[in-house]
Amino acid sequence: MSQMLSPDMTIAAEAIAGKAKIEVKNLNFYYGQSKALKDITLSLPERSVTAFIGPSGCGKSTLLRVFNRIYELYPKQTAEGQVLLDGQNVLDRSQDLNLLRTKIGMVFQKPTPFPMSIYENIAFGVRLYEKISKSEMDGRVEQALKRAALWTEVKDKLNASGLSLSGGQQQRLCIARTVAVKPEVILLDEPASALDPLSTAKIEELIDELQADYTIVIVTHNMQQAARVSKQTAFMYLGELVEFDRTEKIFTSPREKRTQDYITGRFG
Amino acid sequence: MSTATSLHQSRKRKNSVMMTLCVAAAGIGLAWLALILGALLYKGLSGVNLAVFTEMTPPPGDAGGLLNAIYGSIMMTIIGVVVGTPIGVLAGTYMAEYGRFSKLTTVVRFINDILLSAPSIIIGLFVYELMVRPMGHFSAIAGAVALAILVIPVVVRTTEDMLNLVPNALREAGTAIGAPRWVVIKSVAYRAALSGIVTGILLSIARISGETAPLLFTALNNQFWSSNLNAPMASLPVTIFQFALSPYEEWQQLAWTGALIITLTVLALSIFARSLTGRREDK
Repeated sequence: MSQMLSPDMTIAAEAIAGKAKIEVKNLNFYYGQSKALKDITLSLPERSVTAFIGPSGCGKSTLLRVFNRIYELYPKQTAEGQVLLDGQNVLDRSQDLNLLRTKIGMVFQKPTPFPMSIYENIAFGVRLYEKISKSEMDGRVEQALKRAALWTEVKDKLNASGLSLSGGQQQRLCIARTVAVKPEVILLDEPASALDPLSTAKIEELIDELQADYTIVIVTHNMQQAARVSKQTAFMYLGELVEFDRTEKIFTSPREKRTQDYITGRFG
Repeated sequence: MSTATSLHQSRKRKNSVMMTLCVAAAGIGLAWLALILGALLYKGLSGVNLAVFTEMTPPPGDAGGLLNAIYGSIMMTIIGVVVGTPIGVLAGTYMAEYGRFSKLTTVVRFINDILLSAPSIIIGLFVYELMVRPMGHFSAIAGAVALAILVIPVVVRTTEDMLNLVPNALREAGTAIGAPRWVVIKSVAYRAALSGIVTGILLSIARISGETAPLLFTALNNQFWSSNLNAPMASLPVTIFQFALSPYEEWQQLAWTGALIITLTVLALSIFARSLTGRREDK
């Protein structure tokens, strides 16, 4: 099936405008013995939002977690193939993982503020790789919070615990924290699925603004969200990449019947 | 209809029987505790005076205090905790963080649980063979080592448990921002688990401050003031043991007072530990 798809896929990839930031080539992923990703090949354009959609267990989060190799925190998870970031294979053994992760930031489904102040939540990541003065740090924190549209809400309580914020604010704090270390790519793993509609709208607005400077990959259960925020969409099913194309194409005239069935709500 | 009513009645009867049994059991448990505390307060409080904290343990028939025993207990407890805590915290950290998925962790946890419930007199005998015999004499340092060995399993267990409660998402978040493993542990996991780990340390202090058996084999006792760690040293539990068994009234009184001091200290530590965990649960 995937072999039949390959030629089409190349055509689709060419139809997607822009220089590739991340290229995935023949990627297979295993949880122990079970194969979770089957021969995935796709390329994500720079400074643009790409959405991964598909039913639960289709491998979209797994694929995202390969990009920054966060899966390596756990035993018995292995990836084979290539994931090229600007032509460099991040799956290389010689890849410095901590450096890789400063280039590829990640925001998770549940807001995960660190158990420290709002200020420290952001300074923490910056301090890991840069030695800067207090005033410079103040500037960086402010800039990051402004970038995440959180500054006006927290500027008078930067020393309050990050945990004291609401869920939506916590999630924007996590985005601010990610942006503060100046990554090139931002991975969003269902960033709004635990939030109310208003906070979700804010996050989506934010994603829209951030794509001017960052390559963004978002995994989402919410098809409307994918349609709203992304330029291109990948539909995955049972560990396979079924279809990858411009978002409007996927949602208006998908080539594959399975994509059609999924977006019209016939399954998943 | 009538069967339903009788069923209902019989359930109500069973319920009241069960409830009475549970309340009675809780009452009996509490009653003993109240009796012990009451007896301690009644017998001990009358002996509390300045001399208890300023004078040495007296020879039979004389008045005196417990200063050397209090000092010895504090010294050996401090050394025991200072030696035992880092080992316990680091071992717990290995088990919950670096070695979370390793077989070694399962083995260490099993052995640690055995150590946790090992009779303390065995620890005393072990340190006696390990230190007292080779050195040729009893010493405060041997006592402190015995106490440290008692501290370790308590701290290992609570550290591991508390770190395991830290959500993996938080570790992933720390890792995803580019922090090396040890920074994630130090700045994120420890911080999230801090009150729990401190509670474990406080509970270990509470545990060792009342231990008698391991000290009998190691620090022994000392009638006089001694701050020499290489010599036998008095401690409250051993002094209580010795004085309570004696026929002299002054000694018996001091034993009651010493028991009261230990109990109140442990009580205060437990309440403090409780308040720390309570605060964490509030969040």
